[in-house]
Amino acid sequence: MDNPTFNEDDGGSDLDEISHSFICCVCRDLLYKPIVLSCGHISCFWCVHYSMSGLCESHCPTCRHPYIHFPTICQMLHFLLLKMYPVAYKRRENQILEEEMKRDTFSPQVNSQDTFSTMVFESNSSSDPLSTRKGEAYANTDVLMSNSQVQDDGTGTLVEISDGNSEVIRNIAVEEKYCKQVSVADVLCLECKQLLFRPVVLNCGHVYCESCVIIPAVEMLKCQVCQTSHPRGFPKVCLELDHFLEEQFPKEYMLRRYGSTGTAKQGGPAKQGEKLPHWSDPHSRVHTGCGCDSCGIYPIIGDRYRCKDCKEIIGFDLCGDCYNTQSKLPGRFNQQHTPEHKFELIENGRTMWWQPLHNPIVIASEDSENDEND
Amino acid sequence: MSGGIARGRLAEERKAWRKNHPHGFVAKPETLTDGTVNLMVWHCTIPGKAGTDWEGGYFPLTLHFSEDYPSKPPKCKFPPNFFHPNVYPSGTVCLSILNEDSGWRPAITVKQILVGIQDLLDQPNPADPAQTEGYHLFIQDAAEYKKRVRLQAKQYPPIV
Repeated sequence: MDNPTFNEDDGGSDLDEISHSFICCVCRDLLYKPIVLSCGHISCFWCVHYSMSGLCESHCPTCRHPYIHFPTICQMLHFLLLKMYPVAYKRRENQILEEEMKRDTFSPQVNSQDTFSTMVFESNSSSDPLSTRKGEAYANTDVLMSNSQVQDDGTGTLVEISDGNSEVIRNIAVEEKYCKQVSVADVLCLECKQLLFRPVVLNCGHVYCESCVIIPAVEMLKCQVCQTSHPRGFPKVCLELDHFLEEQFPKEYMLRRYGSTGTAKQGGPAKQGEKLPHWSDPHSRVHTGCGCDSCGIYPIIGDRYRCKDCKEIIGFDLCGDCYNTQSKLPGRFNQQHTPEHKFELIENGRTMWWQPLHNPIVIASEDSENDEND
Repeated sequence: MSGGIARGRLAEERKAWRKNHPHGFVAKPETLTDGTVNLMVWHCTIPGKAGTDWEGGYFPLTLHFSEDYPSKPPKCKFPPNFFHPNVYPSGTVCLSILNEDSGWRPAITVKQILVGIQDLLDQPNPADPAQTEGYHLFIQDAAEYKKRVRLQAKQYPPIV
């Protein structure tokens, strides 16, 4: 019935063992470098970036909730997935890296937990195969070799099992081996240091219990760890992660449920950030297709500062606010930006520097359908 | 650029469909004359819902995906001059979930599109007409409309 020449096993055959919660709704593969939007929905780094507009506000690929800030990768989820699905995650890494090399634009490196901008690799105590990789920039070959490394290091005990020639047994073994490794320590709230309960992820990628985020009375919501502000109101609970935690740690989760009633500060939503800009306003100076590498606003509106020294194709830009607060954050696309670099002010909008590389932005809708005026 | 995610996503859609899909539906990427598969065009069949005037019809629908998929929805086409208030004379389906500016979300799957169009068949949206004939009969002459729908269902018998 179906064409036999179509290769159904072209990668992704490991998807059966992956929890549905961790399949990206855009690429339908295992989440890679996951980003949680303020509506609580998760997608891969590139899937979010490709889904963003660059011309005006963007919409969540799952629920169409509007947003304008490109959030930072959620490190906690990244390491959780790496631990749970080392082989599939490695496959994804190689696949994405290949695409990134073709485009010569890279996603940020996620090194060790909690060290945000350093390039030092913290040796993880668990036998996590990826941590054997050196924290050098992506252009190296050991990434491509590491597929076999995973087989050697990560699945050492499976060698004997695979003689039992049943793929199913093997998969179960893989799953058990790795899922057991995931402990409450991998999914702690940064504030209360307990198992996350109704987790929310801020724009900086840090994860808290919904009730642990301190809502300031006047100013914008700020991450208690990295002090970056969270734009546009209180984030919604990441339900996929919440359901996973409840399933994975039923006892601990129940304790949290009973422990946290009453303490929840859910009542008043945080002060909304600035209202969405009016795209149609001719004075708003939208820098089409150009985003801020610090707060992630995309596109930049108002003043834009472009780094004159960054050599990467994608460039390095800051919005007026982030330029004035002397942001020290690394670039969103692994740029090798340093504080010594010089900036130039670009006042006029409508430049096309930071455009998504896969599809040039089409200004006018060019629907070829000519009979739709009927 | 072929490095976009359109093909990868479509390959995953294909796998998911082969694993499980609603009864009576067909969705298959186009096979070119040299035997290779073109994931960017899918030939599908939507069965008319049982208990409606559309029952018994197996309507051919083609999905045209662009390199911007899934950021942009696929164009869904019935044969030209397909009789339905929300189908343009060219055969293109007019449906909110297939409109990038209103209802489309990259999370919508091929399965959801096809089931959505099946629902649309028997529940046209008079607020958004796309052809004169189907629309006028639908709002003015229910008996004639019914007749035309049943006639069209007979024109598309199941492919054995």
